[in-house]
Amino acid sequence: MKRTLIAAALALTLSPLAAHAEYEQVNLIVFGMDCAPCAHAIHVSMKGIQGVNTVDVDLNTGLVTIKLNPGNSAAMRQFNEAVEKNGFTHKEADIVAKGKLTGTASAPFLEVAGTQDRYALTPAAASADITSLLGKTVTIAGVLPQAPKGKVSDTLRYKTIAEAR
Amino acid sequence: MNPRMVLACALALPGIAYAADHGPVFSYATPVNSQRELSFDTGIFGRYGSRGTQFSTGSGFGYGLTPHITINAFLPATFSSGSLPESRIVPGSEWSAGASWRFLHSVTSVGKRIESTASLGLVVPGPQQDSGVLASLHRAPGIAGSLATGLASRSQYLWAGGGYTRFAGAANDRRPDTLSWSGVYGYRPAKLRRGYEQWDYRGFAELTGERTGNVRTSGLVIPNSSTTTVWLGPSVLAIFKNVAISGGVQAPIFRDASESLYGREQVRFAINFSYLKYSAHTSSH
Repeated sequence: MKRTLIAAALALTLSPLAAHAEYEQVNLIVFGMDCAPCAHAIHVSMKGIQGVNTVDVDLNTGLVTIKLNPGNSAAMRQFNEAVEKNGFTHKEADIVAKGKLTGTASAPFLEVAGTQDRYALTPAAASADITSLLGKTVTIAGVLPQAPKGKVSDTLRYKTIAEAR
Repeated sequence: MNPRMVLACALALPGIAYAADHGPVFSYATPVNSQRELSFDTGIFGRYGSRGTQFSTGSGFGYGLTPHITINAFLPATFSSGSLPESRIVPGSEWSAGASWRFLHSVTSVGKRIESTASLGLVVPGPQQDSGVLASLHRAPGIAGSLATGLASRSQYLWAGGGYTRFAGAANDRRPDTLSWSGVYGYRPAKLRRGYEQWDYRGFAELTGERTGNVRTSGLVIPNSSTTTVWLGPSVLAIFKNVAISGGVQAPIFRDASESLYGREQVRFAINFSYLKYSAHTSSH
């Protein structure tokens, strides 16, 4: 009984670290920023999202690079909202995220646990066999197409996918 | 001031040309605050003419209710000894409060926006008396509206706008209605299209014009009291993150105003300081 309790406690303690699903990096293209205060406003808004580590804004390309801390639970909707509230428009986003691969080999989904973000996966290039990864936590890099204001894309075009370490 | 008036001041939508933080100093422009952004502006404005000078200082506050609607208030103080025409381009002694609505917002590419903003506000007499022809008038509140449209980009800015202010009468006196308009071109050289953690500079050429109606006192129109003037001059805006400093000067290129009433107004200038407090507030999921 004692061993069972210890094992259960260890499992509860370690499981969030082992399988935590989260965004690691979000590279978001933002249209409409013409000046330094625009970029500063985006910087302040992104830094206000819990779990964000660093934010870099390039005014000439519109690229906002967000790196997140391990164990964060920031959701994609929050990044889009940070853009919208400053009066700008978010375009596509390149993301690196960890999540659980669900669905079937022909219709896979990525679930970023704790954020309610769930994406239908489509390969950006030639389709790889991901059957062996189903049910596992994976690290995935891909592109979220532009979503309308107030929405998040429900499709992720993945470029790479591998079992999370 | 009765409570209804106070409420109206707080809720009404300003048409003053006083533009700061992201734009030119004299002209109508389209930028509004971000949602929950608090902006604070303070400046010195001067007019110099053959019949005296007017210096005013003022503080403006803005708050972004939504990404496209900003409420604002402007509280000036004047130090005037001259007789100069009514102006809505350069702040006078009236306090104003209102709102601006960016009703068109089209983002066409990285760094480029085409947008239009309408403003409506209530203008009320401040505690200070005017000088010159306007000094003896009983003053009443007025309504000011404006419309601006244009383009903002990393390299160029172009805005056109116009505004109208109409005052109510008081004891058979009435300040002149004022029609104002402006066109402004801005440019940021390629070398200055830098990262946001460096100073951001841009220069403007500002063309402004005003047509003021007749002044009415004791029920009678003062002859030749209407004016039309057009002004042109440069201004510069420098911004570092959330702090902005801008300054500009204008000279008349057209003037149709009674010299016996107003003299010859020769120069206008403005220096403005802005502080922008952005909100880090984000929703949780």
